[in-house]
Amino acid sequence: MGQTRPMTRVQITLGSAEAVAELDEKDAPKTTKWLKEMLPIERQAMHSMESGREVYVVLDTSHGIEEENQTIYQTVGDLIVYYKPAIFVKPKWPRHIRDFLVIGFIYERDSAIRGMSGPLATNLVGKITEGIDALAREAPRMRREGFGKMRISLA
Amino acid sequence: MRKLLFELGGTGAVAEMHDDIVPKTCDAVWNVLPVEGMAIHANWSGREIMLHLHGEKILRLPPEGPGRRGTTAPGDIVYFWRSPQMSRGKQLAYSSQFQRELSELAIFYGDPAGGGLAADDPARSGRDSNLQVSTLFATLIDIPKEFAQKCEEVCHNGLQRLVVRRLERSA
Repeated sequence: MGQTRPMTRVQITLGSAEAVAELDEKDAPKTTKWLKEMLPIERQAMHSMESGREVYVVLDTSHGIEEENQTIYQTVGDLIVYYKPAIFVKPKWPRHIRDFLVIGFIYERDSAIRGMSGPLATNLVGKITEGIDALAREAPRMRREGFGKMRISLA
Repeated sequence: MRKLLFELGGTGAVAEMHDDIVPKTCDAVWNVLPVEGMAIHANWSGREIMLHLHGEKILRLPPEGPGRRGTTAPGDIVYFWRSPQMSRGKQLAYSSQFQRELSELAIFYGDPAGGGLAADDPARSGRDSNLQVSTLFATLIDIPKEFAQKCEEVCHNGLQRLVVRRLERSA
């Protein structure tokens, strides 16, 4: 029997909503290791304009993220890291070859991360286990009233 | 060719209607102008803001013109109607009156998502094509940088008042 390692939990704060995610260190060891070193993260939250019910922050880092534990079938509560095409963030020329490293989550169904012309695989780094309902209320409120900052820190 | 003026946050953009291609849709939109309301940003279609029509301004128009199976492009102004059962789950960001049936003007101020296919969403058209109507009825003559910037700000800063009015010819 192998020893069970404690699972790293991170706190996600968006406006008045608080949630907790468990990192998938077994299937995404490199990305979660990098993410833990990056924490705490506090950046301007943005809502997806192309992928549905996704809120994300752009990360200011030159660190390269390898493909790991990838999926194109994101579901509610997924915490994901990937390169979002610049066309959906800041359409600076040459917009079709730039991208931004982002971390985000899906707060409701009917969402699928898109690339330039179809599904985009994302690194699945964790799952929101507490507070998804609060995020699912806060994100639409912010769509109406404006987005503030999102903070991700060790729980 | 009739023209429309879109006013958003102190900026404006002018569109020409496609009277020659979809005259009934153009007439119907023209007849409800001016319309105004709080524009919300798209979250599937890319650089698009939407103005939901409500009250006496709501339009329930049949499809018109050539079947639009192509892509959406920057500058497109689309009349969109969606039957209640075609709703994409809960639309909590919308006012309660728009969470099921939806009648709106969609303004594509920049690059659409999915190479322009996302806005059409053929997978959600249903077996009965009358469940969703999407008619390209006007195109922005140009997209002023300031207007596009204001449109993008709707995505980050929340709803913003949008007014659509007739641009009458001066005497």
